[in-house]
Amino acid sequence: MGARGTRARGASLTIAAAIAAVALALGLAACGDDTVGGGGNGEVTTAEAGNVTGNLTVSNWPGYIDPGENGTVAEFEDETGVNVDYIEDINDNEAFFGKLQPQLEQGQSGGRSIFVLTDWMAKQMYDLGYLQEIDHDDLPAVFENLAPTLRGPSFDPERKFSVPWQSGMTGIWVDTAKAPEIRSVNDLFDPRYKGKVTMLTEMRDTVPLVMKAAGVDPEEATNQDWFDAIDKIKSAADSGQIRRFPGNDYIVDLTAGNVVAAIGWSGDASLIENDNAEWRMPTQGCMLWSDNMVIPVGAPNTAAALGWMDFVYQPEVAADITEKVTYVSPVDGVRDLLANRDPQLAKDQLIFPTEEFQRNCSTQDSPPDIEPVNEAWQSVITG
Amino acid sequence: MSLRQRLVPYWLLGPGLLWLIVFFVVPMYFMGELALRSGSLTTGFTFTWEWSNLPASLSGHTEQIVRSFYYAGAATVLALLIAYPLAYAIAFRAGRFKLLLLFAVIAPFFTTYLIRTIAWKTILSDSSPLVGVLQTLTLVPPDGRVLATSGAVIAGLTYNFLPFMILPLYANLERLDLRLIEAAKDLYSSSRQAFLKVTLPLTMPGIVAGVLLTFIPAFGDYINAQLLGGTQQAMVGNVIQSLYLTQRDYPEAAALSFLMMALILAVVTVYIRFAGTGAFMGGKDEGTTDG
Amino acid sequence: MVDSKSPGGPPMAAAARGWAWLRRNALPIYAGFAVAYMLVPIVVIAVFSFGDTPRDKLTFGLNDGFTLEYWRTAFSIPELNDALFTSLRLAALSTAISTAIGTLMAIALVRHRFRGRRAANLLIVIPMATPEVVIGASLLSMFIYSSFALGFSTLLIAHVMFSISFVVVVVRSRLIGFDRNLEEAAADLGATPLATFRTVTLPLLAPGIVAAALLAFALSIDDFVISNFSSGTTVTFPLYVYGVSLRGIPVQVNALATMLFAVTVIAISLVLIQQRRAERMAAVRPEAIRPEAAAARAT
Repeated sequence: MGARGTRARGASLTIAAAIAAVALALGLAACGDDTVGGGGNGEVTTAEAGNVTGNLTVSNWPGYIDPGENGTVAEFEDETGVNVDYIEDINDNEAFFGKLQPQLEQGQSGGRSIFVLTDWMAKQMYDLGYLQEIDHDDLPAVFENLAPTLRGPSFDPERKFSVPWQSGMTGIWVDTAKAPEIRSVNDLFDPRYKGKVTMLTEMRDTVPLVMKAAGVDPEEATNQDWFDAIDKIKSAADSGQIRRFPGNDYIVDLTAGNVVAAIGWSGDASLIENDNAEWRMPTQGCMLWSDNMVIPVGAPNTAAALGWMDFVYQPEVAADITEKVTYVSPVDGVRDLLANRDPQLAKDQLIFPTEEFQRNCSTQDSPPDIEPVNEAWQSVITG
Repeated sequence: MSLRQRLVPYWLLGPGLLWLIVFFVVPMYFMGELALRSGSLTTGFTFTWEWSNLPASLSGHTEQIVRSFYYAGAATVLALLIAYPLAYAIAFRAGRFKLLLLFAVIAPFFTTYLIRTIAWKTILSDSSPLVGVLQTLTLVPPDGRVLATSGAVIAGLTYNFLPFMILPLYANLERLDLRLIEAAKDLYSSSRQAFLKVTLPLTMPGIVAGVLLTFIPAFGDYINAQLLGGTQQAMVGNVIQSLYLTQRDYPEAAALSFLMMALILAVVTVYIRFAGTGAFMGGKDEGTTDG
Repeated sequence: MVDSKSPGGPPMAAAARGWAWLRRNALPIYAGFAVAYMLVPIVVIAVFSFGDTPRDKLTFGLNDGFTLEYWRTAFSIPELNDALFTSLRLAALSTAISTAIGTLMAIALVRHRFRGRRAANLLIVIPMATPEVVIGASLLSMFIYSSFALGFSTLLIAHVMFSISFVVVVVRSRLIGFDRNLEEAAADLGATPLATFRTVTLPLLAPGIVAAALLAFALSIDDFVISNFSSGTTVTFPLYVYGVSLRGIPVQVNALATMLFAVTVIAISLVLIQQRRAERMAAVRPEAIRPEAAAARAT
């Protein structure tokens, strides 16, 4: 050993020191802001309008548009010359938020200019200061054609930060060959269907439906009502009555014939390859929701984003989208256009629901005190 | 030994260690700090040396932790039972098709985890012919199912982590000097004894590596439980996923992760002591000479 | 039932012979079953890629029919093509980097005694024990704080990071008990350390390195969770598949997955044939060296 050993140790110390320096530099960079979360800095910006050119990145849910050669995205590109990167990477409001939150916290949008999010999530992001506001004057087609029923939702009464993409209903998908009699959410708790029923992981869909079946109005519900409904679901999960809590993939079990009934969304008929599957309005009513286009903070090229929003609100374009995705369009005039193109579609209650059809339905909302309810719900679905 | 020679290991380790330090240790430091914060997403999480996050993250999740041990353990044992004879056959019986066979066995794992798991979901669906056969054989009750049960999750874990068992076993077996086994056969005269006294001990490093490579990722997995399990099959990975992404209780998620890592390290250390080989961590290595 | 010792009639003898045959070939038969088990999902995926049947439904009814439609249109989904190409490029690069780095580390850890060896070992094991979501989330925090642009490069960093440990463990299990005499023999015969490494150590290590590289490749092409955090707007094959899998996979994905499998097997067979030829020419196969090594030891 001796001198040589010391020198060897010296060399390893040098390496260690270099590593430590790198680590420290990065560590210091991290300590700049000593709280994590807590929202933006309070200033709300308004999305800037301008020439519709350049590149645009849109994040949406899968299967929510025709992205093909002759589809809506290509049409927009042809008309404006904007180069669109349309990514279908939203599978779950929570998971998408979880992934983007650290970036939004730093005022970055991850390169995206538009997200499509469900009402409550749009509201949550806005409250945290992660969204930009929108000037109605920049969106003439939107505010000319937006359906009157969607103009003043409780989460965004003046449509300051959200523009509806599509709306839908949450109810029950039934395999009519195997369980023709299921009509109410209460039937899902019938022991005859033990292990053949699924309910969505989406708390704001599943829990209020169970509440409604028990005669509680979710729009007036207290925290206790939420806990009671969650308890009921928990005991059904523990007993094996409920097979699993799927997300977007509830259609897989329905197609494969693993379940006879599932809580699910109204527009998914084209995805469920089971001729006997039928979406039913629950006896005690459905849940109503919309997915909304929003512009996040730090979004590049907001002008093109606004251009995109206005583009998809042209009735002709919106009719193409409806034909493809079979959800409820927020655009007035789509029905008249489709009446010529496809009369059958124009009569479909799931795409053009009448007020009478939706009379018992409730608008999706969060519980009064989100955190404890969410925690209780999560412990049920990660049993 | 010259200084140059003494520096050799550091040069060899350098790039890898640097990579791990910058892209693992430093990010983990953020996580460690996060584990000691308190608050909520709306108020912001502030650093308060919140040690109580650690016990808090365990409460209510012991069931999932125990279940993870059970599932990952069962999957590891099954994988070993499947992989050992297979690796042995490939190494010694496949002749010149040895590597080709190895690749054929590993190639399914290049088609993406999710597609494979979904394929299993289809194969095991309630109305599938396979489940019908199992029901006829009374391995599954007539009104029973395979999907959305613990069995399905264990089967999925076993399948998905098999290459982690096969590859180290193969790499180890392939190096085995067949003359030793022949000599043993001459001496012990029974091939069973030769296997137990010679082959098995000599392949212990491969077994240890395979068991750990299978057990550790299986323990933290959540996709299998999510796709193949039902309401009572969630593993600790699912809990962490939910805490982080859905409840956004970052401190608790980080705290639970650290406890889980500590737990795995403890198990790994005990296992290595028990298995009596330094194949994995810094134990005594055979074949190390200082020259 | 079967008594192999009794000198019974022909059926008994046949049964005994059968039993003996079974015993002799038990291992290949068992291995055959194991291989079949591993290929089952691939077969199902391949069948579905030709089937004109509802996805997710395991029916092989006659009236469902077969079609080549999805193979003809396999490359007709641009997002899918991009995703697949991105994943292949990413997996190839990350495999190359992590295998090189990891092999060096394994050599250092097995061959050398040095200060900090235990700590280095620990640092290699811990990433494997870390939940993916934690690795993903913490890496994302770091990338954001140090304003890395998320995309292909951050994916590559992440993939190399989580592959290294696995490479080290696999190569290590091959290195332990490695016959150092062979290298000494080469050195005695006048080979430089580099030449020894190239002609003796590397070929002997090759199966371990190949196994490690395969594992690294499989890890990379499979990864969803960590990629999801570090991808930015880059879409890899698993990210694409995850999204569509929830809403019904386009059948083209099955066709591409089958293709991926077939191409892998074919490509690797070609590489093997090439390698065997090269090996024969270089004549550095262990069998050839071993006697000399023994001789070297004796002197």
